[in-house]
Formats: sequence, structure tokens, C-alpha cells
Amino acid sequence: MKIALLDLGFGNLHSLAKAFSSIAPDTEVTIAPRVSDASHADLWVLPGVGGWSAVSLEQHRETLRAALERGQPCIGICLGMQLLFDDSEEGAGKGIGFFEGSVTRLSSARRPHMGWSRVAGTERAGSLAVPHAAYFAHSFACRPRDEATVVATTTIEGDTFACVAEKKRTIGIQFHPEKSSTEGIAFLASAVRRVTA
Amino acid sequence: MSANLRRVVVCLDVDGGRVKKGVRFEGLRDVGDPVELAARYEAEGADELVFLDITATVESRPALFEIVRRTAEVLFIPLTLGGGIRSVDDVATALRAGADKVAVNSAAVSDPTLLTAAAERFGAQCVVLSIDAKRDATSPSGFRVVTHGGRRPTSLDAVEWARAGARAGAGEILLTSIDHDGARDGYELELTRVVAAAVEVPVVASGGAGAPRHLVELFQSTGADAALVAGILHDGVTTVGALKAALRDGDVAVR
Repeated sequence: MKIALLDLGFGNLHSLAKAFSSIAPDTEVTIAPRVSDASHADLWVLPGVGGWSAVSLEQHRETLRAALERGQPCIGICLGMQLLFDDSEEGAGKGIGFFEGSVTRLSSARRPHMGWSRVAGTERAGSLAVPHAAYFAHSFACRPRDEATVVATTTIEGDTFACVAEKKRTIGIQFHPEKSSTEGIAFLASAVRRVTA
Repeated sequence: MSANLRRVVVCLDVDGGRVKKGVRFEGLRDVGDPVELAARYEAEGADELVFLDITATVESRPALFEIVRRTAEVLFIPLTLGGGIRSVDDVATALRAGADKVAVNSAAVSDPTLLTAAAERFGAQCVVLSIDAKRDATSPSGFRVVTHGGRRPTSLDAVEWARAGARAGAGEILLTSIDHDGARDGYELELTRVVAAAVEVPVVASGGAGAPRHLVELFQSTGADAALVAGILHDGVTTVGALKAALRDGDVAVR
């Protein structure tokens, strides 16, 4: 399987590349600086380290949305999940707008939300190996308008947010599966299987 | 209500490419290779790992970053690198090598804008402010910030500095009690309590772990998010699994 990590100014993609390489022996992971460089990949990955404003989506927004609407398999992680939504309180500029809804600041007193938290799957989870707990590092969370897209949630000081969402062949993940040990990698493998099936 | 599961963070002192004292695992008398140890501790259930470069000389840096690179290849939990981080470029090099977070200590004391610059460039989630504190009745909170392994007192109060550091951009505070470090008589609860109450970012308590009950005590009586453990694991006094079991018995939520 060919996996392309879209490098739209995200920074360090090494540990993510390593995580995807580890899930199947015949996986070929490449880093694509432009969406056009990823056209032959079976799966696109939108990684995410850093802030909303650090990402240069401008030239890629429409191409990305059109491809995901057509059913291009895609996994967005952390900021990469947030970018799939309409907009964010973190910064100016529009997101990809594939999922309807905004990204808003967590209402918890303690921010950033850093560390391991419990994750609860919804009925939509099905074949996805939703982990019991996962590693998070974020201050903002996605608020999908369509509840039916939510695969898993996490609750922080009473603020419950979607930590996994799915639409068509795209899955957004707020936590870092690549930092969530064995369960995180198993979940990532199940997500890859699901979107590319 | 605590938001997060409490974390057990394993710290390895690295010196010139090897773990300083070596570590005893069942069936293995001494393992000094940080890469192998990192993987073993993850398998045991460690939630995070910290590499502390205890020499932190210019000559030791390439070897250290090479270890970070090799560890990142096999590790699937967060890795923090501390020791000798002086500039935003050092932070960049550490992150590029595969560290998830970088801990800054005395360089931030000299120049707090380093925290801001690093947070702006890489995000607060990867900037850890490492504070070494010592009891001092003349400091407003009763704890003073010290540097150089506790030998050099500063003009900073520990609570004030934690607050200022979080405001400047640190996304986490690694709080070491110099009085308790290595003594194995339990964490400095009072220090941890006052610092965790003063800041909104997570606090990792360090110094003093001698037995599983010390972690239970820490989490039951302070707002610490995480406990740093080193010597008692490396010497084989206990295991990460035993620590987690004791925490569960004490009704502390862990992974």
C-alpha cells in the first residue's frame, strides 16, 4: 500500500511515517509537499503538529475537499483532523470544510490537554479498534455538526468532544495514535484497513 | 475532577550515548543501551519517557541526538529530551531528531523569552519548563528555584517562576525537588501541591520516589498529572507494572 503524508508545513513527520510503516510490512510511506505529489497514493494522511495558522492550506483546500468528497481515503491526525472542519477559534483562515462544524477551545481549566485520557467508542466504531486510552496534546477540539459522524469521544473536565470522526473514506483522529503505544498502533492499523477497504 | 489519567514517566540519565548507571531487568544484569531500555519500559507500561543528558557538553550532543533518533524508531510513547538545551535551534534539533517534547531548565532562567520563542515556533505542547526547587523560608512560597544541580540559588520563587513560565509558553512543568531527589523518601508533596495549584498546565513531579506508595500518596494529595520515576526502576526495586497496580489499588486512574 502507498501512503502519502501531506507536508503542508507541519514540521516533523518522522514518527508518524514510522508508525504507518510499522502497521504492515508492504507499506510504502512517502512525504508529499503538494497534494499533486500524492495523487497515486492509496491513502493520504494529514498530520498535525503546531498551530492552525502555521499551515498553508490556501492552494490545496479545494483539491483536498473535492478528492475526499469523491472518496479518496484519508486520515487526519490531531491538527490534521481539525483542518478537515470549517474553521477554528485558534486562527484565521478556513479549513477544508469536509466535516461541517467548527474547532473551538476546550472549556477545561487546565490547558493544553496533555497526557493520556480515556476514549469511548460510539455505535459507529464497528470494526475500528478504538483504544481504551490514548495520548493527547491539544488545546482545541472539533465540534462536528453531524453527530452521526462521531466514532469516539473523550471527556475533559466535563467537556465532551469527538476524538474520532468519520465521513465517507476519511477518518479524523484528535489524539496521537503514534504515541499511544500498542493500542494506538492497533487502532491506526484498523483505521487504515477501514478507509482503504 | 482530574481530566487526565495520571502518568508514570520513566527517566533515563544519558551520558555519552549510554545510560549512566545501567539498568537491571529480570534476566539481564545490566543494560546500558538507551534504545533497548526505552522499548522495554514502553512494553512494561511506561506512559512517557524522558532522556536527561547529564553531561550536556558540546562534544556529547551528536551522540545524544543519534540516540534520540534511534529511540524514536522503536518507541510509540512520547519522548522528552532535557539537559543542555540552550536555544530555539537546540529545540529544533531535538524535535527533528524525534523528541516529542524538549525540557528547558537554566537557559529559561537566564532568558524566559526562550520559552515564548520555542512555543511560537513549535507549539506549547512540546515545550517543557524544567524547574529545580529547594526549600527556602526566605522565598515567598517557601521554595526557591535553583540551578546547576541545586548548587546555584536564583532570585526566583518556585511558584512565581512556574506561573511566569507557563504564561511565557511552557505547556508542561517538570518539577524537581532537589531536597528529595535521590533520597527515596517520597515526593515533595507541599512543593507539588502549591505549584500544581498555581498553574493550568500539567505538572510532572520529580524527586523522591522510593516505593509504589509514594506515587499513590503524590496523586492522592496533589494536583500532579504525572510522576517521574528513575532509580527504583533501574535498580529493580520495583517495576512500572507494580507501580500501576499500586495506583489502581489506591483508586488513582491510570492507563
